[in-house]
Amino acid sequence: MMKGLAGRGGLYGLLVLAAVGALFPMVWLLIGSLQTSSELYRGKDLLPAKPQWSNYVTAWTDGDLGTYLPNSMIYTVSAVAGILVVASLAGYALARIEFRGKAAVTFALLAVMIIPAPASFIAQYKLMVMLGLTNSRVGYVLILISAGIPISALIMRGFFANLPKDLEEAAAIDGSSALNTFARVILPLARPGLIAVAVIQGLAVWNEYLLALVLFDDDKLMPVQRGLMNFVSAETPVQNILLAATAISVLPVVVFYVFAQRQVVQGISSGAVK
Amino acid sequence: MAYAFLLPAVLLLAVFTLVPFVQAIVLSFQQWDGVSTTSPFVGLSNYTFVLHDSVFWSSMRNVLIFGVAGFVLGNALSLGMAIAVNRVRRGKAFFRTAFYLPGVFSVVVIGMMFSWLLAPNAGIVNRLLGGVGLSGLQHNWLEDPGTALPAVAAVFLWYHWGFGFILYLAGLQDVPVELYEAADLDGAGGWAKFRYVTWPDLLPVTAIVSLLTLLGALQVFGTVQVLTNGGPGDHTMVPTLRIYQEAFTNQRFGSAAAMSVIFGGALVLLAMLHLWLSRRRR
Repeated sequence: MMKGLAGRGGLYGLLVLAAVGALFPMVWLLIGSLQTSSELYRGKDLLPAKPQWSNYVTAWTDGDLGTYLPNSMIYTVSAVAGILVVASLAGYALARIEFRGKAAVTFALLAVMIIPAPASFIAQYKLMVMLGLTNSRVGYVLILISAGIPISALIMRGFFANLPKDLEEAAAIDGSSALNTFARVILPLARPGLIAVAVIQGLAVWNEYLLALVLFDDDKLMPVQRGLMNFVSAETPVQNILLAATAISVLPVVVFYVFAQRQVVQGISSGAVK
Repeated sequence: MAYAFLLPAVLLLAVFTLVPFVQAIVLSFQQWDGVSTTSPFVGLSNYTFVLHDSVFWSSMRNVLIFGVAGFVLGNALSLGMAIAVNRVRRGKAFFRTAFYLPGVFSVVVIGMMFSWLLAPNAGIVNRLLGGVGLSGLQHNWLEDPGTALPAVAAVFLWYHWGFGFILYLAGLQDVPVELYEAADLDGAGGWAKFRYVTWPDLLPVTAIVSLLTLLGALQVFGTVQVLTNGGPGDHTMVPTLRIYQEAFTNQRFGSAAAMSVIFGGALVLLAMLHLWLSRRRR
């Protein structure tokens, strides 16, 4: 009994320690973002004497966050919408329609997923140059959609496969076309799948960096990750302002995560196990 | 009918993923500066060039540190913490949320966060060491050739262990309770239960987590680029960053593509080998 209690206490001690380890860097960033430059460089105080909220105003204007954040919103919403449409169409065909070459298509999706980014981003850049799609919102969204398709289609396939078998027949008797049945009957039933895909792909697109780095040099079109790096390397770095800019850029994600953490966790699991 | 449903996906994947994959191979035999509309064939010269690029090969060696750290330490940490969280009754949701939080940050955020934590004078790590009388252990973590690579690898671990943790936790919750009850009846202790119930039941999850963390670690790019950009010297250079620099800084897209083919090919082989091994074990 005593041993059990001590063990439990030790277990909680370990978990709390790990939680502090996971949360502290964010807290420390927030503290730094509210200090004055001199406090920051002196490095003696733990907390700012007076929170410098004006750092956030400076970061917003000097860091052009009023341009980058809306850009990121646009890219995230359009890419996720595109992924949902394309991947659910494909996942539906793979789960519920018999056709020749089905095994080959499924295998191809898996094979495409194995192609690592380092193997293709140089050639992707060349392709985009040839197509005139560098510094292009459309080009960036298209390539993001394409990157999200394989895993999302496989996740959706899993959700569609679990639906009852006779749904299509019943709808066909009522005179519904295949596309109509898909949109009106099947898709609403696969809502948990759509949410899982939207949540993980939303995070992935918002945080995407490599392609944004390679494809944009026009400031006005950059998503926030790319824009932030621009800010870091362009100005003489004023640490507290950079920290404030980073905090602003991460705020949407943290809020989203706190509210949707259940869906995030489910999304990760369904994505990896499939 | 099915083909109509598949068409958009196949079209997009063909244009933006498959064509570039093939093109990377073609480009590795060509010369291209990133702008011109022509890219003449140059035979094997990109490959001979890469063969003699010592920075590329030391980047391959460096990334193995990330791979091993992710594979061994990351996996152990993820599994250990998942077992711990799975055993407590209260606060499960809180710990799960907290442990995965770093996973939703971007590499840029991670980079900003840790160049501040690890800063030489004002950084909290050195201040804490100084505060407890261990100033001898203070370092300029990211710029000292001796500490830069371990420091970046540690940040990488901190950033990524939550992913495996989530998957292990989900896996643990799927282990049938009856198995533990049966083990209890047989008088099995904690270790025996882990060894004969938990471990075998988790094996498929372990296989997928270790593959994904290994591949993720070997492809590390942004974390390194933002924290050290490969420096000091080339002490933290990793292949993807080297490929990027070869193309976009040195304007040698052909040899960058050759590196892509060598490194990407190795990754694909590794993934297939791992899948084959874990399938055979079952």
